[in-house]
Amino acid sequence: MRLSPRARAAWLRCLTDPRVVTGGLLILSIATLGLLAPWIAPHDPQEQDLLATLMPPAWAVGGEARFPFGTDTLGRCIASRLLYGARIALYVSVTAATGAMLLGTLLAILAAYFGGWVDWLISRAVDVWMAFPPVVLALILLVGMGAGVNKVILAIILIDWTRFCRVIRSEALVVMVRDYIAAARLAGFGHRQIMLKEMLPAMIPLVITMMSIEMGIAVIVEAIMSFVGLSVEPDVPAWGVMIADARQTMHQAPWGVILPVGAIFLTVLGFNLLGDGLRRALDARLVLSRAVATP
Amino acid sequence: MAFLALQLLFRRLLLALPILLCVSALVFGILRLLPADPVAMSLPPGATAEDYEKLKQAFGLDRSLITQYGIWLGKLLSGDLGGSIFFRRPVSELVWVALPATLELVALSLFLGISVGVGGGLAMFALRGGLGEQALDGATTAMMAIPEFLWAILLILLVGVSLQWLPFIGRLGPGIQLPPTITGFLLIDSLLAGRFATFGSAFTHLLLPSIALAIGLAPLVMRVLRSSLLETAQDDYVTQARLRGISENRILVRHALPNAALPTISLIGVQGGFMFGGTVLVEMIFAYPGLGNLMVDAVRNHDLPVIQAVALIYCVLVLGINAVVDVAYLAVNPRLRLAGAR
Repeated sequence: MRLSPRARAAWLRCLTDPRVVTGGLLILSIATLGLLAPWIAPHDPQEQDLLATLMPPAWAVGGEARFPFGTDTLGRCIASRLLYGARIALYVSVTAATGAMLLGTLLAILAAYFGGWVDWLISRAVDVWMAFPPVVLALILLVGMGAGVNKVILAIILIDWTRFCRVIRSEALVVMVRDYIAAARLAGFGHRQIMLKEMLPAMIPLVITMMSIEMGIAVIVEAIMSFVGLSVEPDVPAWGVMIADARQTMHQAPWGVILPVGAIFLTVLGFNLLGDGLRRALDARLVLSRAVATP
Repeated sequence: MAFLALQLLFRRLLLALPILLCVSALVFGILRLLPADPVAMSLPPGATAEDYEKLKQAFGLDRSLITQYGIWLGKLLSGDLGGSIFFRRPVSELVWVALPATLELVALSLFLGISVGVGGGLAMFALRGGLGEQALDGATTAMMAIPEFLWAILLILLVGVSLQWLPFIGRLGPGIQLPPTITGFLLIDSLLAGRFATFGSAFTHLLLPSIALAIGLAPLVMRVLRSSLLETAQDDYVTQARLRGISENRILVRHALPNAALPTISLIGVQGGFMFGGTVLVEMIFAYPGLGNLMVDAVRNHDLPVIQAVALIYCVLVLGINAVVDVAYLAVNPRLRLAGAR
């Protein structure tokens, strides 16, 4: 693939940024562990061993090597459930963030390009959506649509498109007044061609950055919804379900809570670091102000 | 000046009314998608088809959607939020008990979050370029990677269960009597009644949930304040103040902070709104009897009138806090303040 010198420089900045590298490696390893779960998990995540309930991790007193992270109230292997839980977390984060990104970016570009009543309508819709605390809107949507992991994904898309729409619309308004857009118009380009071929590429760095942060948000929202029992079926090992189950017994077995919280922490941390690093590496204005600001 | 601010606030709230109307229609519309049947659920076992029709009429569910919305909106405007299907009490009664509890929680959380955030932001700025800044930066990254409801659980585990420093269930300790209800705010009512033990118990019960909520806000405030302070520090008037021999601390507090505070204030407006969302789960985890707990109970029991009313109240609170913050933004902005004085 041939890259322009500017694109190559941007890639280089990304790949040498410590945040991007750390975050990327974190996400990559969690994704690999999740994908390999059927082969590396020591047990079936649903397999119950009622003679070995609430076991501590292998390194603690009373732990056993066959349950590296201990067991829950039903004697299920926590390590195996964590590995399978990674699949759900990443599945939701990729699909929901992609959906929200597509919807939000599309509406943002339409609003900025056509202006007038299109912009008015989209901006007012964003205002209305922003009046809801996201969790409250998610709860209402899931009451309306019914529970389930795919409904959670749909709910995240229907809620978080506004995050993309607001930011990308204001960036698109800046791009709209650039000379090359006017040149494209004079050259007789169609609406779709200008929006997709001329405007969109200018916003790709911003879209990628926001996408990374949105993936972290999606992981949290899925955990919240499976925690209150509105996401996956109760027998599916999601991190939120594990926390909700283990909360009842956290006096005797704090590990059951701490380990899935740690899993969520590492995943969200990975996406945040990635997003933060990309923002600094790709956003020219920020790079400039940072160069000035740090002595 | 105060009058001007009130006028601004009033105008800002007026602008929020059409948004609120759309919000109410949206809430109403989404909840009518519900596949479950609230009438069937609120009937005792062994009810006849006739009972079903009667109850359906009593709930007004036999009429068209638009009529239902109209009736609901009309009653809403006269202060009637309808009756709860699950709790079998008027919704307004439930809300009047829960709302002050949530407001108390959010007020303390905002206070904690803003004070720690501003303090931390100033510290990060003062320690810029050193190891201290890097340590604080790392701390904010870690704090932001754990959502409020998980902080709530971790705090219960650490401070409540292991160290046993603070209580973590409900609003008051066992055996402590409620003060007579005057405002509904437990902290204020207990002080008015002169019951300091009750005040202490209510306050300690508030601490853990509000720390959990504040952790969501503080790191964001720290980061935004730090970066806008870094920007203002480059401005000419700061250099000029320095040349006049004004001490660094005074420059920071009197000259740089008022200008640098503006993005932070906007941020607090947005995040303050989100904080109401955070209360939903935090209240549920701490069994704290506020709006969030009411909402989760209502969601679990498909109690439509309660869900509708509480969702709408959340939106009113968000729009309200946004309006207040917008006005504060104008009031604090040094440039606009000058223009107003002339």
